[in-house]
Amino acid sequence: MSIIGDLPTPPPSVADAASHGSGEESVVVAIVPLWRQRLRIFRQNKLAMASAGYLVFIVLLCFLGPLIHPTNQTDQASALLQTINAAPSAHDWLGTDLSGYDVLGRIMYGGEYSLTLGAVAGLITIVVGTLYGMVAGFVGGIVDTILMRLLDAFLSIPLLFLLITLVTIFPPTTSVIITIIGITGWFANARIIRGDALLIRKLEYTQAAQAMGAGRWHIIRRHVFPNSMSNIVTVATFSVADAILFLTTLGYLGLGIPLPGTDWGTMLSNSSQNLANGFWWQIYPTAIIFILVIVAITYIGEALRDAFEVRLLER
Amino acid sequence: MGAYLIRRFFQSILVFFLVLVFTFSLPYFEPGGLNATAIDILGAHAPPATIHAFNVQHGFTENYFVRLWQYIDQLIFHGNLGYSYKSSQSVWAIIGIYVPRTIWLALFSLILTIVIALPLGLFQAARRNSIFDYSATSVLFILYGVPAFLLCLLLETFFSYGITHLPPPPTNIDPFQIFTNPVPFILPIAALTLLSLAFLSRFMRSAVLDVLVQDYIRTAKAKGCSEWRVLARHAFRNAMGPIIIILGVFLPGLLGGALIIEYSFNYQGLGYETVASALNLDTPTVLGITLLVTIFTLGGNLLADVMLGIVNPRIRVEGK
Repeated sequence: MSIIGDLPTPPPSVADAASHGSGEESVVVAIVPLWRQRLRIFRQNKLAMASAGYLVFIVLLCFLGPLIHPTNQTDQASALLQTINAAPSAHDWLGTDLSGYDVLGRIMYGGEYSLTLGAVAGLITIVVGTLYGMVAGFVGGIVDTILMRLLDAFLSIPLLFLLITLVTIFPPTTSVIITIIGITGWFANARIIRGDALLIRKLEYTQAAQAMGAGRWHIIRRHVFPNSMSNIVTVATFSVADAILFLTTLGYLGLGIPLPGTDWGTMLSNSSQNLANGFWWQIYPTAIIFILVIVAITYIGEALRDAFEVRLLER
Repeated sequence: MGAYLIRRFFQSILVFFLVLVFTFSLPYFEPGGLNATAIDILGAHAPPATIHAFNVQHGFTENYFVRLWQYIDQLIFHGNLGYSYKSSQSVWAIIGIYVPRTIWLALFSLILTIVIALPLGLFQAARRNSIFDYSATSVLFILYGVPAFLLCLLLETFFSYGITHLPPPPTNIDPFQIFTNPVPFILPIAALTLLSLAFLSRFMRSAVLDVLVQDYIRTAKAKGCSEWRVLARHAFRNAMGPIIIILGVFLPGLLGGALIIEYSFNYQGLGYETVASALNLDTPTVLGITLLVTIFTLGGNLLADVMLGIVNPRIRVEGK
């Protein structure tokens, strides 16, 4: 069996698998390391590569852009002395917003918050979700039952209700928002990872390891964790997208990053009244950049799922 | 099947009580101590005597367990969800006003979503990796990436101030107007449908993809079934299992989506009221609505189990 088939997307047909089953080059490619094969499948996906390029560009824009295009984004008093709601010009490339801040600079400044918070909060959801799911799925028995009923309870409270309630109870600061999005976002992740752990626990190699006297922790670390890696990475990608979306929704409700900080959601929300006045530059550039970030992350998540699809590797 | 459903039912009740205790306990973590709620409701300059009277009236001077028991006692034995801090109404009265509006909104967009998303997912799977599949996927991903409020803003800009002049929903709209004068409902329903579309049709697509590689599909093709017949009779029915489970989870998701959409369109339904009372720190109302939506969620999951048994006879046997 060759290990690499040039199959773009799952699931491959039986005929495909058979046609790649023979041939000289299969012997040669059989020694290619696993991560390289995965990288290769990922790179075959043009949309995912374009998405990755776009994300790199946006990260550079947000974090290095202010060095090239320095603007005042924190001093409200002197911002108000500038022209507010100014149309795009040579000085303010994307105009100014209702407080007199340069919109392009604001996109970079808000992007720093949105991207960082999204990444950190997404990371928290995946770490907590993975630990919880692994323990529930692997230990099993009464522990699993208790943990799963608790999870059912968490899952049956709609996320937005919980999020809004928490943010109104705890006055939002940057770290509070990260924590709240982090601790409300992991429920679904835990369930997916637990399903994986349950499956892997039943597999022969895990049982063989158990028979040889391996401890629980060893099995989780060496067998369950590496084998659920595909789901963990995929879920992590979508978690980051969801975290950025939640942050945006909070921003819309006025519960986003407090001043002098800002995020894309707060920016869009503050300027939304001005769209009817014809100040398009306050909405459309931010909106397009934002939506494309989410779309790009989603494409990358899909491509990662394909890359980790074991069926694709073995046929 | 019966025993399985009964077990699931009792589990649901247990889960409901967990949610109750959890949501009830949340306000206790509020920084600011005993007087925080009173100060929020009465204002920063309220005299101490008034604050004390407020605390006594709402039972804040009792300890946590006494209050929890009182709440459960009132809810279970008297069906009483308490009284709003802000609007001098019982929580039931508030729910009675706002629920019908949200139900119609959610119901119509659920029907529209199913009617659009299921065939879309089916044909995307059947024509996998075609131009049609790629463009539909891109459109769906964009819809997934648009925050709800932005979608509402864009819809309003284009269809209320732009190409057409659709009116926004008036305040205190009578929900049954949807049958006599549906025009103000068009935009909120469209927004909710567009937002739900991506979720459901992606699931349909992957469910059908899983089914299409099965042996019975090949058998059906081999015995000469037309492609249409294979898709409609074999693929669609067998993909229904995962879709029904998803629909059970979908219902509360729809209410969550309605939350922002209602707030954006100023459509005064349950979601609007939730956001408004959460921002006003009207805890009993938020608590009551959350519990109601939790019941919806648990009911939706139970319903999904029943439906699954009807669609897939194997589960009826296994569940015994």
